[in-house]
Amino acid sequence: MQHLTIFMDIESSRSYIDELYSSDVTKVLEALITLKNSVIGSNRQKSSVIQQGIVPRLLQLMSEQNWDPNIRLEATITIGSLAKGTSENVNALVEQGAAVALVEILKEVPIGTKLAEASLCALRSIFLNPPAPISALPAEMRLLSRLTQITREGSPTARACVVRILSIWCGGPIEQEALCAAGACNAIAALLAPKGTTPPPIARALPALDLLAAMCFENANVSQVALNTRYGDKTIPELLTLLVSRDKPLPVAMGAARCITFIHRAGALPADDSRVVFGALPCLARLCTKDMPEDIRATAAETLAYLAEVDTSLQRLAAISNHLMSSLADIVNCPSAAAKQGAFKCFASLGANDEDIRKRIIETHGLMVHVVNGMNNPEPSVRLAAVRCLHSLSRSVQQLRTTFQDHSVWRPLMQLLSESPGTELLTVGSSTLCNLLLEFSPAKEPMLDQGAVEMLCNLTKRPEAALRLNGIWALMNMAFQAEQKVKQRILCCLGTEQMFRLLGDSDTRVIMKTLGLLRNLLSTRQHIDAIMNEFSSQVMQAVIVVLEGSYPAEVKEQALCILGNIGDGEKAKDFIMANEDVLRKLVDYLAHPESKLQEAALFVAGNLVWKGEAGCAARQARLAELGVLRALKLLRQRPDAAHLHDKVKTALAQFNELT
Amino acid sequence: MSFDTAAINGNDKPERKCYDRTKSDDLQISRTDMNMLIMNYLVTEGFKEAALKFQQEAGLQEPALCSSLDERIMIREAVQNGRISDAIAMVNALHPELLDNDRYLYFHLQQLQLLELIRAGRAEEALAFASATLAEAGANDRNALTELERSLALLAFPDPHASPFADLLLPSHSQKIASELNAAILKMENQEYTNPKLCSLLRMILWSQSELDKHNVKYPKMTDLANATIEQPK
Repeated sequence: MQHLTIFMDIESSRSYIDELYSSDVTKVLEALITLKNSVIGSNRQKSSVIQQGIVPRLLQLMSEQNWDPNIRLEATITIGSLAKGTSENVNALVEQGAAVALVEILKEVPIGTKLAEASLCALRSIFLNPPAPISALPAEMRLLSRLTQITREGSPTARACVVRILSIWCGGPIEQEALCAAGACNAIAALLAPKGTTPPPIARALPALDLLAAMCFENANVSQVALNTRYGDKTIPELLTLLVSRDKPLPVAMGAARCITFIHRAGALPADDSRVVFGALPCLARLCTKDMPEDIRATAAETLAYLAEVDTSLQRLAAISNHLMSSLADIVNCPSAAAKQGAFKCFASLGANDEDIRKRIIETHGLMVHVVNGMNNPEPSVRLAAVRCLHSLSRSVQQLRTTFQDHSVWRPLMQLLSESPGTELLTVGSSTLCNLLLEFSPAKEPMLDQGAVEMLCNLTKRPEAALRLNGIWALMNMAFQAEQKVKQRILCCLGTEQMFRLLGDSDTRVIMKTLGLLRNLLSTRQHIDAIMNEFSSQVMQAVIVVLEGSYPAEVKEQALCILGNIGDGEKAKDFIMANEDVLRKLVDYLAHPESKLQEAALFVAGNLVWKGEAGCAARQARLAELGVLRALKLLRQRPDAAHLHDKVKTALAQFNELT
Repeated sequence: MSFDTAAINGNDKPERKCYDRTKSDDLQISRTDMNMLIMNYLVTEGFKEAALKFQQEAGLQEPALCSSLDERIMIREAVQNGRISDAIAMVNALHPELLDNDRYLYFHLQQLQLLELIRAGRAEEALAFASATLAEAGANDRNALTELERSLALLAFPDPHASPFADLLLPSHSQKIASELNAAILKMENQEYTNPKLCSLLRMILWSQSELDKHNVKYPKMTDLANATIEQPK
């Protein structure tokens, strides 16, 4: 049988594998070339080589500085080919130190050699397989300067490799700053610049755009440097503006618009800058249209969502751009998860602030149905994006009353929140729930039946402040003008212990909402008496905790308002009157330098002394004895409390027998 | 590539008047342009000797040959002469990433190797080879699987050359793969232009004609590219 080198199985050809370990240079080189030709193009062969444990020998041959350069080159190329195998293959290479070894070669060999190029190619293949071995490439200035030098002087392949590797590597502020200091912005500008009238080829521009985006993301400092970096007579934003035009390949236009977006969001370009308004925004809206390929549309929608996330003027502009609304409604129907979530996110951004836009979004092609379907999508990212969209739209009071009701959006939402969702989904979902509970709605009852109270009470026990806030906030909304049995249920379920824990929360907003909940629970006379009858000691204790503790004025104000509500009850008044501590505090607060605390204290006093109610004479006498009357008189004389004079007068008028 | 794209761009705005293709003598096409297009074809496709001869006879400047022209010629020869493993080794030496990136192309080269075995009547080796190497590509790619099945079907015929799949054994098949490989190498090198410009010109004629057909326009139509036969509208 004739010798057929090309399909020799690795297993059946130990002989040349053995020669890899020979001391004869010629034999080793021949064996390497045979090995290389057998692994290129075949994942099966690659796996087999890795399983046989040949990788350490290859790394050794690759790194040996005194060996024949051809041996080092062929070994590096073989490692590079192995790195183009399956994900498991690449992981095995990384575990055996291939990435580190390749970086070592880059530190030592001259730029422009074949060995340097081969190691860059291999490293790029390794980095393209997630998770990339970020730590193999330390943020050392010497190494990074060397790499940026390659992006200026290297062969086209070497450049493309370095830029791609760095674009994956650059994942945080440390990397961003290090690359910026190593001069990466200048190198990027050079890669993006046209040669005469010829735009940069796509293979050069694309990795450079990805790197620029990675460097500028949420980094004000680097974005500022990019803003002022020039190549020839053009700054980077100007070069980007050239690339977003219609005649450029779609991925290039997409990448350029993404860079402008990131530079804007990092704060280096204002929202009304022409490169944002006339460059990035129209380009992204165009890339969302029906004629575009699905992957481009998905990325464009997601990028546009980020671009318009906070700025109302950009949201309004985007909403009237290039039929964007109908383009997005169409993207929601695309099969891929990426497209769906991009469109939902974009709708969420557009409707974040403007009621008119929200209305138009909802009127667009039965979007609510899609949002509800999106919440049931098997893909978690789509569910999250759909809830984000719902959250944004739930800021509209009108929609809460109409469309939201028609589509029973609470049903899939409650379903999602009860299925142990991730923190992010829980945060957005519970925020949405807050809004859904704001208005009186027929959905309240079934939501209670589905365990909304229990779920929200559990949220208040979460370690994440945002979740505690949403939980207590939603409970507060739920208690607003609620029936007594709902209020009872909230109090029972939350428990006084948890309530005290929340009053000691590290986040002032949580404390505020907890007190807000108490206020809502203690409103309308009948409810006040019923609840105080059952929970008087706990409620009074909560109020005292706040009044005595070192809380900001607005928190104490809330506590005084609760006292005021209690003072509005019929029997509940007695709980205040029986507590001398509280009454003395009342006197103090009537003389407090903070005006809103004076006012709140006045509200409490006014309710307590109100005549014509049973026992009012006794209360007035007691209050006068403790100095409330004197405090009120003093308050009337204070020039800085002029705006309260009418209320003070009304309160004083109640004391007619004593004045 | 040394030739710029002006030759194919046709930057002139299309004139509104309708002209007859048979008497288009008023449109001047310079001899140099023609020669450049032919030279581009020869260089791109790797006909080095023909290119040098043509340069002498037509009195052109020294053609700017790609650095890899010699290698590409050798690779083309190897493919067309059935020395596939040599060709693969040469490609791997020239551009190590190429066949890893383009597995379909790699499959085509291996398929040629299989066809060589079939042509030589070595059926057992052909089967062993197919299961050892080609099966992997067939499992990952539907197109490859279909092509693999067609190739192996040749084995079922006593005389493969008389079978319905005989086209695979014709020189034109290996030429096609050789051109595919050549284009891939060029693409790897300058990352943009890989086809001869004559090819693009002819494509453009076909595209324009199909656009005209879509709109039911009557015009003199080129029906045979090789002979540039033009039929008058009926």
